[in-house]
Amino acid sequence: MKRFFPWNKEQRVRKDILRGVYEENLRIVGKGPAVIYKTRFYSAKRLMLPFLISLMILMFQESFVPTPMQQRSQITANTFQKAYQPSAGGVSEEGPSNYKSFISSPGMPISRIFGLGVRTIMIDPGHGGNDTGTKGEMGTKEKDIALDIAKRLRDRLKKYGNYNIVLTRDSDVTVPLNRRVEMAKASKADLFLSIHLNYLPSRPINIIETYYFGPSSDPKILKLAEQENAESSYGNSDFREIIGKIGDTMKLQESKEFAASIQKKLFMNMRKETGTAYNFGVKRAPFVVLLGVDVPSVLAEVSCLSSKEEEVQLNTESHRENIARYLELGILEYLNKGDVTHEARRHTEK
Amino acid sequence: MKQDDIQKNENILYAGIDLGTSRSSISASNGTRQWIESYVGWPKDFIAAQVVGKPVLFGAEALQNRLSLDLCRPLEHGVIKEGISRNEEAVKDIIKYLIELAEPAPDQKIFAVVGVPADTLKVNKLAIRKAVTDFVHSLMVVTEPFAVAYGMNLLNNSLVIDIGAGTTDFCIMHGTIPSEDDQKTILTAGDYIDDQLYSYLIEKYPGSRFNKNMVRQFKEQYSFVRDLDEDIRVEIPVAGKPVMHDIKNEIKRACESILPALTETTIEMIARFDPEFQVKIKNNIVLAGGGSLIRGIKEYLQDALKEYGPCNVTCVQDPLFAGSDGAIKLAKDMPVKYWEPL
Repeated sequence: MKRFFPWNKEQRVRKDILRGVYEENLRIVGKGPAVIYKTRFYSAKRLMLPFLISLMILMFQESFVPTPMQQRSQITANTFQKAYQPSAGGVSEEGPSNYKSFISSPGMPISRIFGLGVRTIMIDPGHGGNDTGTKGEMGTKEKDIALDIAKRLRDRLKKYGNYNIVLTRDSDVTVPLNRRVEMAKASKADLFLSIHLNYLPSRPINIIETYYFGPSSDPKILKLAEQENAESSYGNSDFREIIGKIGDTMKLQESKEFAASIQKKLFMNMRKETGTAYNFGVKRAPFVVLLGVDVPSVLAEVSCLSSKEEEVQLNTESHRENIARYLELGILEYLNKGDVTHEARRHTEK
Repeated sequence: MKQDDIQKNENILYAGIDLGTSRSSISASNGTRQWIESYVGWPKDFIAAQVVGKPVLFGAEALQNRLSLDLCRPLEHGVIKEGISRNEEAVKDIIKYLIELAEPAPDQKIFAVVGVPADTLKVNKLAIRKAVTDFVHSLMVVTEPFAVAYGMNLLNNSLVIDIGAGTTDFCIMHGTIPSEDDQKTILTAGDYIDDQLYSYLIEKYPGSRFNKNMVRQFKEQYSFVRDLDEDIRVEIPVAGKPVMHDIKNEIKRACESILPALTETTIEMIARFDPEFQVKIKNNIVLAGGGSLIRGIKEYLQDALKEYGPCNVTCVQDPLFAGSDGAIKLAKDMPVKYWEPL
């Protein structure tokens, strides 16, 4: 009997393991048992967080800063030229009030206006470690796909030789959002791109959308921000300090330009490649990771795991490599905006 | 009907495949055991095709003819050399070639278990399934360290550390299929040692001509950590003339560069478990993969973990086939009802 029981136990363990392997492989082809999506702990603090940020931003803007988007729409095409005209003595006659319109010139990155170059690009693969992000029906995790695309994008950008590319994580580890912000500051990042994947439980479609920091009244966006901010490790008191940065008009406008370039290249090419991508556009949302970073920063939802078809595609190297390529094109378009030679070259290539 | 009888009646060939970054192997139920270096090469042009005489070359043969070929090491971590579609094609070609090496009988059904690096499986599981689909009737994909653990009957209270080329995979077995929390992957592995060794040698001998392939061979032949009595001297051309070089210190430094991450992660993995199980796991640590052949690594890890209590570290007998042997054992044990046609 003594010998019988251990053998029996081992057989049972072996049987369980074999069934586990079978079920795991069923899941790979999308036949497995249902998985739980976005399992997060919705504490009262976390639920309140995005609303609190939005409220503070709105209050701050009303008190100190003209609404950047309104101000921007009022600027005519020749504002930049006018503002940039030096006086006879070589000193600009434009006073401080026109300085804002000068830096708000559409289609011209701040880096170009001031002759600054982008040296360090920080790529932030969303989630990681214990925080898996969203999960597809086949068990594909947002954190794994985001990391893989981020690494591919890094390798692509490195080939140019003139950018220092830094990743907030290059393995499957938990990195709180505040740590990511600190890393961006420490590495003196000039550009910040956070890569995420979407999930729409109600609609199994592939949507592409890109966010930059700003208030939003859309409850769906606030809900998404709440989910993405959940691992921030920021307390409410921290926001008093960082919320002060919202007056940074330059960053907001640059981020919007950056987001537009990313969204355009990503959507157009994804649509061409898969034929099923939907353009949800450039949006504002109170993502903590974007607020804390001082430089142009965007969060791109590069794909959607609720679409079975898209999840299958995401499990192929070629599709992930393509997404990295579209992001690369978006970054290059932003960096080359206003560069006449680049535009000419682009038209010639067409 | 018993499982063995069903297997015989159905004319099935079971295959266990270990698809590694550096080397891939196959163990089949007809007794075949073969391995190749995970390189695939296609002739660069019409002339190269005539020189090599084949449309595609594999393993050592591909490496030997690398100047005439577009060479691809498909599972190399994060490196894209010849384009992604080539990578996918290469995986497919390697699988096809390995199955051919197993010499299945005509009309024989092939049921395969494929072990892949844990990191590869996370994002490439479907791609790997697709690559294998054309050549087998039914398929299961598992992680390499899990296949090793299964093959060695390490089903409970054990830790398998698979030191491969691209990654080092850690897998804790506790009587069930390991979950994500039971597995961890770090990037300090064989390729990392190669990079370190290459930079040390370039620094020490700036006038000598090295390449990555030579450095990898030095590592595989002489790797060690801690102390070694013998000298390590290799012949390397300097201005076209072969000159002997002492590379002992560089080999030691490069091999030891993976130790801090290895020790730290081992401790972290063990610490995740209940103290009662920690003792059991510490006494059942198994090193697998090519890295387990580094002389002194087992003793180093054992000593490093001593301050946390007694422990026992062993190495697999045959690192080259440990993964594929585990995979074939899994394939043979798998109930027939679980094998679904692709």
